[in-house]
Amino acid sequence: MSQLITIITSHDKTVRDTPLDEAIQDLSFDELIAECDKLDEFRRTQESLYEKVRALFFLYALHRFHLPKHYSPTEAGLLSFAANDLILNRRFEEGIDLFLEEQKEVGWNDTLSSALAYAYYHLALQYLANQVRRSVRSVKGNQWMFRMGHSSSHPLRVRKELLTRTDESEPYPIIHETTPVRMDLTHSGWSDIFFLGMDLPEAARVLNVSVNLAVWGRDETPLPPVECYFRVIDKPVIRLISLDLKTGTDVTSLEELFNFGMDYLGLVKAAIIAAGMVPPGIEGSGQSLESVLEALLGPGKGFELVSHVRDIPKGSRLAVSTNLLACLISACMRATGQTQSLDGALEEQDRRIVAARAILGEWLGGSGGGWQDSGGVWPGIKTIFGELATESDPEHQISRGCLLPRHHLLNDQITDDTIQKLQDSLILVHGGMAQNVGPILEMVTEKYLLRSNDEWEGRALAIELFDQIVDCLKSGDIKQLAKLTTQNFFEPIQTIIPWATTFYTEQLIEKIEDKFGDKFWGFVMLGGMSGGGMGFFVDPSIKQEALPEIHAIMQSTKKDLEKSLPFAMDPVVYEFRINPNGTFGEFLKGEEALLPPVYYKQVIPNLVKEDIKDLSSDRLAELQQFTRNCDSNAQFQKEIPGFFKQLLPDTESKTEISGNLDQLLEENGFDTIQHETIRQQLQSGRIGLSQNRFPPTATIEDVEHEDVYDGRIPVDGATRYTGEQAIKNGEVAVVSLAAGVGSRWTEGAGVVKGLHPFCKLGGRHRSFIETHLAKSRKVGKTHGTYPLHVITSSYLTHAPIQDYLDRVDNYGYEGSVYVSKGKYIGLRMIPTERDLRFAWEEVTEQVLDERAQKMKESVRDALASWARNTGEGSDYRDNLPLQCLHPVGHWYEVPTLLRNGTLHAMLQERPQLKYLMLHNIDTLGANIDPSFLGIHIQSGKDFSFEVITRRYEDRGGGLARINGSPRLVEGLCLPSEEEEYKLSYYNSMTTWISIDRLLELFELEKTDLDNEALVAEKIRFVANRMPTYITIKEVKKRWGHAQEDIFPVSQFEKLWGDMTAFQGAESGFIVVPRNRGQQLKAQAQLDGWLRDGSADYLDSICDWP
Amino acid sequence: MKIQKAVITAAGRNQRHLPLQTLVDREGYPRSALNLLIEEITSTGIQDIGIVIAPGDKPLFQESVDVSNAKLTFIEQESPNGYGHAIHCAKQFVEGEPFLLMVSDHLYVSDSDDSCATQLVKTAEALNSSVSAVQATHEGKLTDFGAVGGSLSSEGKNLYAIDKILEKPTPTQAEQEIMVPGLRTGHYLCFFGMHILTPRIFDILETLLEDKDARPSLSDALEVLAKQEQYLASVIQGRRYDLEDRYGMLTAQMALALDGRNREEVLTQLVGLLAESKPR
Repeated sequence: MSQLITIITSHDKTVRDTPLDEAIQDLSFDELIAECDKLDEFRRTQESLYEKVRALFFLYALHRFHLPKHYSPTEAGLLSFAANDLILNRRFEEGIDLFLEEQKEVGWNDTLSSALAYAYYHLALQYLANQVRRSVRSVKGNQWMFRMGHSSSHPLRVRKELLTRTDESEPYPIIHETTPVRMDLTHSGWSDIFFLGMDLPEAARVLNVSVNLAVWGRDETPLPPVECYFRVIDKPVIRLISLDLKTGTDVTSLEELFNFGMDYLGLVKAAIIAAGMVPPGIEGSGQSLESVLEALLGPGKGFELVSHVRDIPKGSRLAVSTNLLACLISACMRATGQTQSLDGALEEQDRRIVAARAILGEWLGGSGGGWQDSGGVWPGIKTIFGELATESDPEHQISRGCLLPRHHLLNDQITDDTIQKLQDSLILVHGGMAQNVGPILEMVTEKYLLRSNDEWEGRALAIELFDQIVDCLKSGDIKQLAKLTTQNFFEPIQTIIPWATTFYTEQLIEKIEDKFGDKFWGFVMLGGMSGGGMGFFVDPSIKQEALPEIHAIMQSTKKDLEKSLPFAMDPVVYEFRINPNGTFGEFLKGEEALLPPVYYKQVIPNLVKEDIKDLSSDRLAELQQFTRNCDSNAQFQKEIPGFFKQLLPDTESKTEISGNLDQLLEENGFDTIQHETIRQQLQSGRIGLSQNRFPPTATIEDVEHEDVYDGRIPVDGATRYTGEQAIKNGEVAVVSLAAGVGSRWTEGAGVVKGLHPFCKLGGRHRSFIETHLAKSRKVGKTHGTYPLHVITSSYLTHAPIQDYLDRVDNYGYEGSVYVSKGKYIGLRMIPTERDLRFAWEEVTEQVLDERAQKMKESVRDALASWARNTGEGSDYRDNLPLQCLHPVGHWYEVPTLLRNGTLHAMLQERPQLKYLMLHNIDTLGANIDPSFLGIHIQSGKDFSFEVITRRYEDRGGGLARINGSPRLVEGLCLPSEEEEYKLSYYNSMTTWISIDRLLELFELEKTDLDNEALVAEKIRFVANRMPTYITIKEVKKRWGHAQEDIFPVSQFEKLWGDMTAFQGAESGFIVVPRNRGQQLKAQAQLDGWLRDGSADYLDSICDWP
Repeated sequence: MKIQKAVITAAGRNQRHLPLQTLVDREGYPRSALNLLIEEITSTGIQDIGIVIAPGDKPLFQESVDVSNAKLTFIEQESPNGYGHAIHCAKQFVEGEPFLLMVSDHLYVSDSDDSCATQLVKTAEALNSSVSAVQATHEGKLTDFGAVGGSLSSEGKNLYAIDKILEKPTPTQAEQEIMVPGLRTGHYLCFFGMHILTPRIFDILETLLEDKDARPSLSDALEVLAKQEQYLASVIQGRRYDLEDRYGMLTAQMALALDGRNREEVLTQLVGLLAESKPR
């Protein structure tokens, strides 16, 4: 019997909770493989969700972390395109089968294990997502909505009260629903993820508080942050209006309603569907929306749903969007008699169904929160516990727990005095950071199933702290509560997920503690990650004084860090009150049946364009009522100037933005002629994504053994000695490429990646640049000479890097640090639809989960139409100036060293300088290793490029023989993606450069380097011989209150790897160990990187100041 | 228990014209719907029938009846105070006996040798219990009927012990509260428009009517009844046709015609109609 299967299936808790690492620590490679075989067989036959998923996570962990330790450094292989294609299309089972068949032929290797790890991991997540979906559908009260497929069998009717008006001069009555948001005081180690609640309901516990909010300094009193209005209209459409997003539409067909990505109203649409007004079962039925509305409301009628988030920014970690969804669903359910009351608070049974529908709405919209997020529907303070599934639950025998947890109101156990004390002590804030917490939630699931010792102990402590925190609330001891929430953040939360903290958060805590001393009581983290929504407890006696102080501290800290961390907005401080009602409805009729002034501000410009004769009687009645209110109602009177402003918008700000951009282009040496040439070529189709590719006639093969030097095998003493001497003599310098803005790292937010404090190393957060300098320090200390270290920058990153390095005195680096300012710049363009389609349809990519994929496709249609309507190939100017510009590819970084005088200065400082080691900012393991330098020197080549064996995640080209000659190729050049799967090696980008030969290729002498005009001319000559690629990049545009849109833009690039095919240049290729050559591209990689030994390796080659 | 009286409620201000509509009966003669309903009752052997009507409707109703073997009593509901109140108006007529209660806007076609009402009366008499006739109904029709939840009763086939009654529920509520094991997905036990009730119902209605603002429905009263005495639901072998539906009268007519002696003729006409009709 397999040892691991015993752990999975054991009824003994201590056996079941055995950490994987501990269980397999003494197993040999063959024993591990035997365990893998048994686990794979086991997971195929298991019905139990938990056992199946845990077996899959064990398989993932074995292949990702444990088997690779047993492979020799040279054991790597190739992956089959067919298997990979299956994986990308979410056919994980078949992909795994194919990989396992291939294994029988070629044996086990690192590459294959990496692919299996990926496939097992995603298959496990797929099972979990499917189960949540099945459970949402099977919740009693939700099932019928998936059966209804014809308007004639629509079982809901809008309540008569909403269809009745005494005469035509009166508008239809309105349901006004207001909902608080929820704050989670205990956090409980992300125990509100669905899987944890469904598998270990005993450990799924949170303390959830419904709160009203006011932005300090802006709003008068805390109000429920979300509200919505529902009313009948005399037009057979669904009118959707979002007052906070300032948009609206009349939905006229079911297709439009089920298309969530075409506008900003996806959440409102999802609410209508989840509330059963247009049930999900009717999607794709071919029915007309009009017939559905007729069944609901009678002939010729429709309804209007207005949503409003009262200017609370996204990312508040207060579950604003889930509670808005719940608010909209409540109103729609009230309107159709699905709740027991038309107004007032909801009954418990109704709240539960609203919560279940909110989960359904999130699934429909392709998003997902935790099960406590709809806590705003319930009043006041409550604990929420996972619940064991019983025979009457649809989850019975599928999972141990139910999908929906149980809420226990604590009203009777917490005094008003305690509530007051909590309100007087806690300061809620939005720190301003924007983060995607999705990867964190996946990590939590993974760690929970693997039961690593630390994380498991962390979870146990979090549960213990939960009880203590609840006790503090019951006894009214807020100071102790603050101490416990702080302990929660620094101990269990960070033990479970180290990435929950950020450099910014820790700076804030430190500064606030310094400022207020023992009057600062503690910190509380809200939601998935810190940096956005957070809370600080202070002594109530200083709260009023602390509000502005904390605001100022956040502002100044953000200012210091805004170039290195992704901020979406300026920090804000909230005032809050605990909401005693939960979601609450009002029935407004007669003179009261009016929407708020902000609604009229938004709709008036369109209404005045309409002929009064065309207005329906209800619209006319409403406008007359609005006019009367402008005369008599103070709330409307003060908004009158706003109504006029809306009618005559100003254009000043747009001109200002455009002016800044032109100035920036001029300052950064923008080449207008080149830009126009590229535009013409792009528009005429001479260049574009498909033209990036080699002609199909090119022969593309994997390299031969003799094409590479295997640097994974230790070099001889003489070679290493050559390298050591060169370091000692000061003949080598490091060039770290830091022109980038971490687009992938921050999903397009744009920060200076080099300055980003990405991970805690040597006891505190370190930035990429600090890490690279720490490696140079170690080299310097070891060999007696500190290498010169160049950081290359671009128009985006130069000033922040230079300023920061000045401020921190080059992180104390003992050698010289040069910042080489980029001299080349491009202006982004609106992509052609042809290129967009190519990028989306011709390039294989991971197909997403069903609803998320549907959402992605509908967003893409909207983007294609944006490109068409805005003008393909026209300049992209509709964003912050810095988001409109782009660096023109890393090829330019080396010539820039020549042109801007950096190399000249370095040679002045060290005339003996002969070699450069160029590396990417995220190739963390690259350092001046005497062995590799020795190999380069002894090879006599102009350039030595370091390559690594391929793992599953390494995509985008590699080392190939093109028409017989070895060279590096980018993935975008390969005529078909299948070609990439033939290539054994992946480009790490790290390059050893012989300076003399570099200058020769540019036809320059060292003495020419002080003549910028000459150098520029020579560079232009070489640049013209380098290929130009068109790429599509994603860029974020921020608007409103931390809202973000992502747009695809076209830009051109020249790439450094093409130097391997440059005529006259002689390039060598060194295969280096993975730890040295792998790149850290996305935040989601961090956790694996930390656990697979890569971080320890990095630490071993660094010397921290 | 012997059932000797029946009550038809026909006082609803919007529906009172329905029993007066003329249809062609199974034999091919034009008759009012009320006649067909009275015949349904007399088929059980009950002859003493009270009809609750709106004030002033008696002549119209009297005129439309041509049945000779029934003794009719017209009971006026003085003010339109809801369905519960209308039933309560028949208290005196019923005189403390169990009775058959029928709505006036339904017509029935039986699928067994016994008429639908006879099936119900036989069940109630055999079990000595209040029984409501029910039919499994698709959730799309829930907005039109009262519905019950419960479990299979050990008393006999097609019998359910009722534990919950909801008046025109939404499917959201129905799914949570009145799902009945053994029924097809999305189907619920909905009232069939006929009930055998003990006189206790009048006491319950009286209590409910004490609240002057209340307009109790029959479902409200039955909910209480279920707690006080044995109350069962019986699935009837037959079909009901709601005359109030948009094409209710037409459908009821077709059902009657296809159940009668001129079935062949009607079928021929129907097929011709189908062949000639063109979609617009």
